[in-house]
Amino acid sequence: MRLTIHKREESLGWGALVVYLGALALALLLCAGLLSLYGKPGLGGLLILFRGAFGQSYSLTDGLAKAIPIFLCALGVALSFRMQVWNIGAEGQFALGAIGATWAALTFSGWPGYILLPLMLLSAMLAGGLWGLIPATLKLRLGVSEIISSLMLNYIGARLLEFLVFSVWRDPASFGFPMTAEFSPGGLIERMAPGVLGKLHWGLLACPVAGVAFAVFLSRTRLGFELAASGEGERVARYAGLPYGFLVLLVMGVGGALAGLAGCIETSATLGRLQPTVLTGYGYTAIVVAWLARLKPVPIACTAYLLAALRVGLEVMQMELQVPWSFGSIMEGAILLFVIAGQFFLTYSVSLGRALPVCAGGAGETAATGEARP
Amino acid sequence: MSPELVIALLAATVQAGAPILYATLGEMISEKAGVLNLGVEGVMAFASFAGFIVCHMTGSAWLGFFAGGLSGVALCGLHAVVCQVFHGNQVVTGLALAIFGVGLSNFFGTPFEGQSTQGFTPLAVPLLSSLPVLGPVLFRQDLLVYVCYLLPVAVWFFLNRISLGLRLRAAGEMPAAAAAAGLNPRALRILGTVLGGFLCGLGGAYVSLAHMHLWTTGLSGGRGWVAVALVIFAGWRPGRAVIGALLFGGLMAFQLRLQALGTNVPSTLLLMLPYALTVLVLVFSSARAKGAGKEASAAPAALGVNIEPEV
Amino acid sequence: MRQSRTDISAADVTPQVRLVGVSKHFGRIIANDAISLSIMPGRIKALLGENGAGKSTLMAMLAGRFKPDAGHIEVEGLRVDFDSPRAGIAAGIGMVYQHFMLVENMTVAENVLLGQEGGFALSPARMRETVGELAGRFGLALNPDARVGGLSMGERQRVEILKLLYRESRVLIFDEPTAVLTPPEAGALFAALRAMSAEGKAIVFISHKLEEVLALADEIAILRKGRIEGEFLASEVANPAELARRMVGRDVVLHIDREPVAPGPLVLDVRHLSCAGPGAGPGPQVDAGLDDVSLSLRQGEILAVVGVAGNGQQQLVETVCGLSRPESGEVELLGLPWADFHKHQDWDGALAWVPEDRAGLATCRTLDLTDNLLLTTRQGFSRGLWLDRARAREAARTIVREHNVQPGRIGLQAWQLSGGNLQKFVLGRELLRRPRLLVAEQPTQGLDIAATEAVWQRLLEARKSAGVLLVTSDLAEALALADRVAVLFRGRVTGLFPVGDTAQVERIGSLMAGLAE
Repeated sequence: MRLTIHKREESLGWGALVVYLGALALALLLCAGLLSLYGKPGLGGLLILFRGAFGQSYSLTDGLAKAIPIFLCALGVALSFRMQVWNIGAEGQFALGAIGATWAALTFSGWPGYILLPLMLLSAMLAGGLWGLIPATLKLRLGVSEIISSLMLNYIGARLLEFLVFSVWRDPASFGFPMTAEFSPGGLIERMAPGVLGKLHWGLLACPVAGVAFAVFLSRTRLGFELAASGEGERVARYAGLPYGFLVLLVMGVGGALAGLAGCIETSATLGRLQPTVLTGYGYTAIVVAWLARLKPVPIACTAYLLAALRVGLEVMQMELQVPWSFGSIMEGAILLFVIAGQFFLTYSVSLGRALPVCAGGAGETAATGEARP
Repeated sequence: MSPELVIALLAATVQAGAPILYATLGEMISEKAGVLNLGVEGVMAFASFAGFIVCHMTGSAWLGFFAGGLSGVALCGLHAVVCQVFHGNQVVTGLALAIFGVGLSNFFGTPFEGQSTQGFTPLAVPLLSSLPVLGPVLFRQDLLVYVCYLLPVAVWFFLNRISLGLRLRAAGEMPAAAAAAGLNPRALRILGTVLGGFLCGLGGAYVSLAHMHLWTTGLSGGRGWVAVALVIFAGWRPGRAVIGALLFGGLMAFQLRLQALGTNVPSTLLLMLPYALTVLVLVFSSARAKGAGKEASAAPAALGVNIEPEV
Repeated sequence: MRQSRTDISAADVTPQVRLVGVSKHFGRIIANDAISLSIMPGRIKALLGENGAGKSTLMAMLAGRFKPDAGHIEVEGLRVDFDSPRAGIAAGIGMVYQHFMLVENMTVAENVLLGQEGGFALSPARMRETVGELAGRFGLALNPDARVGGLSMGERQRVEILKLLYRESRVLIFDEPTAVLTPPEAGALFAALRAMSAEGKAIVFISHKLEEVLALADEIAILRKGRIEGEFLASEVANPAELARRMVGRDVVLHIDREPVAPGPLVLDVRHLSCAGPGAGPGPQVDAGLDDVSLSLRQGEILAVVGVAGNGQQQLVETVCGLSRPESGEVELLGLPWADFHKHQDWDGALAWVPEDRAGLATCRTLDLTDNLLLTTRQGFSRGLWLDRARAREAARTIVREHNVQPGRIGLQAWQLSGGNLQKFVLGRELLRRPRLLVAEQPTQGLDIAATEAVWQRLLEARKSAGVLLVTSDLAEALALADRVAVLFRGRVTGLFPVGDTAQVERIGSLMAGLAE
């Protein structure tokens, strides 16, 4: 008996859900195991996680609030991943967005909200976009791997943020804590309904706008089509006259702008000032989300919420069980690894033994042999 | 700067460059076999903890060192399984591994934050260590550094003069040719990934056991990513990896000294230097590659490209 | 079901390899159907069949790459079960593929010894000696330390043969061995093959070139639609035409009725074009550049560019189609200089290119047929920024219907179509663009007879409104379709003449080899 592998002719449809849930379950099982290795209750800890993520009164709104930056960053990441351009720099672009927003908030402090807020958003998107264009330009002009350059810019962006907060923008009234002055009321994104809806804020509006724009762009516009086609590689792009260089700049620039937007929203709505703690790894979570969701907008929204909920649950675990925050990285990494392995079964089907022919071929051409096999 | 300071700086350069050299050579073996393993940062992070904890519990630095290597094997084994068996995308799998590995090390390391360990101590080589300049710089280091003097040669020898190394290279250049020759390219790639993982793990363990002699979160500090960049910089040649490792070792030693001396330059900006240098190194490599033309591209031809399953 | 002869030669000699009732299928397609064949030592057997007849699958099973779904294989009288290429090699069966399995970045010696290094450590001196001695013994001149990436096609083939000789293969199988050789190189190969046969090795070669088969083979087996249609000695065959008839069951020399078309305005004018080949650098070129090439094409005519692969065809096509800038000389397309034409090209009424690499270049594997249609026609289906997908879907359905693309569902992704069907789709797509200059590379490679006829008809139709630049290595195709023929050798045009000039046509072989004009 041996294993035969066949490429699937038709997609799995609902079977895909089974694959994803299976991978998720295995990943969580591994995490439970690691938890008990650490000395905490394994399955019990996971239950607390789920209770926090989905069971509490604030779970939904907290989860949505956390999902906003993840969703926006993930859209940006997915845009470039579709072209096989590996933008790992969402975290750095997020940081630059926060910086840009802070610059506007502090420079134009006191201005009315309907001017200040758009200025902050614009400034953040510009800063994030430019930060994304750096690896793009290096890739196009010099062939530098965008993976490493965008990643290095993450570290540099974080250090830049720290530098600004520790020195130039430090709030004299902060008693030595690293933070800027609080933004003026015009620069704050308000909560929707502080009592009822918890931490949920108006930044949520950015999500459907960005999501719809993303979906429409990819399916309805010519440029969106050219982007999808460029994912196959530069050779095809040259043959079909696709504007590959322009598209690389576009995806990294827009991706950076989206991450920058997320940075602005997060700084303004959640913190109300700039602190190094604004960087909690949303940029990396976004990469996990984009890949899990196979780069499609609706699954990105669902997955972003799921991973955000996981973070909410993690906070509860932290409080009740003193589980370190790094457990979240373990979960995300494990889930991604298992799902990547599971995605194998979406493209290929495995069976034991040999397949039997259904009917004799007639066409004189042999489909699978063709030119692919010598 | 006085000559004593320069010599101390050079000695620190060699010591700081050692873990980077281990990791670069490890990643090089993996890439020569055709596997792009971006998870080196996670591997080094976890290995640095594994090495620390084993040394802490058993009291043996050597056991810790090998534990680091073995943990590298285990994590890279994950990468190998996901990519070679389940046909996973190498880039994303590597990223997942990086996230996972760093998380693992920070998670299990939390109770041990800031604790120190005996680790490895410098061992002067008799006679040679008395040489002027070269003596203190090269021959008053710990044993692991002496091992890494031999490592580039060993790796070169393995890849070019051992039949297994030849087969590994074939799997990285053209898996179809390896298969036609009766070999199993996928198994060879798994071997390459795991072997590379061992060396990367050793590098990680070095950081906690010999370089810093303590454990803290974020100990690997981006060295894993530097290693990936340095493989490109070295043109996939073991000898050239030494130059890159020394470059970064020098920068990190210099950075530390500058901070200790208390300069006006804010520490956060200083901390940016290694990452900026990494980008510069890549820019330099790409510019050089363009100038030399495409005659014989140094990168293994099938790097990062998975082997299609036999349908 | 016809009975096949399993033993032609003397009954007392054990066949080196014997296939008994071997069958293989892929999904619902049956590639090989109950094949029985004997391969005798010291004899050269040709396996003849058109593209898609199942030859390659059969040989792949012998090499151990696939397992038969029914039937079995015997080596020297004993039944064997190959579960990997290693087992095939160990049984003494060696294959030289059409696309060489050589590592470009390694030396000749490393490639020959790969997998059979004979020890833990490698010694360059010992490797050099071994390979050098082997090469000398069979007259295959090669430098063991040369980097394979810098070798010519003929030299690379010699490396492949050395690999088999080093493994002391007793059966040597060649898949389309002369596809990449010039006529003199082919002659040298034949001499080497006869020498090996004289030493007792069993040689099998797969081909669809009738003259070659008659010149070299002792025995001929014909494969059609996965079955052995006939097996006989070469001496029993009178001429290529008879062989062709046996191969297809009817007169295969396709007669194309060509209505004359009056030549129109100039669509392509190439004057003294020179440039370096793709991947320029020191060392012998594998894909040649161009050296002072001049040719012209008018609407209403088909110009065939023939020559052995790798003599500049790729560079010529890439230059004409805008991928490569002409270094010296002028190129004018539809009356415009190269730079002006390619700066802003209309999607229709201009240039269309049907590339040789239909799966890797002309289409995107993971996109469906509608998207693949849009690949080169997207401007025709957009209004400003917006794409009209519904109209594109209709057009895709029309193409699938009119060109008989199987299976007929536009929702399929490109990788799910066979090479031939993909080619029909690509041709349909490019014809939709109503080009005035059509560049077609190897348009019927991998297509069966019916599809080939259909494609030829379309090309002839196309020339009513366009000039067609036909790049092909199939001389029969060139002579059937073209008005004029240009022969390329090492980037130079060694011959340019109308198809009616029989004297020149006779000399095409020499022109392809660059011999005295």
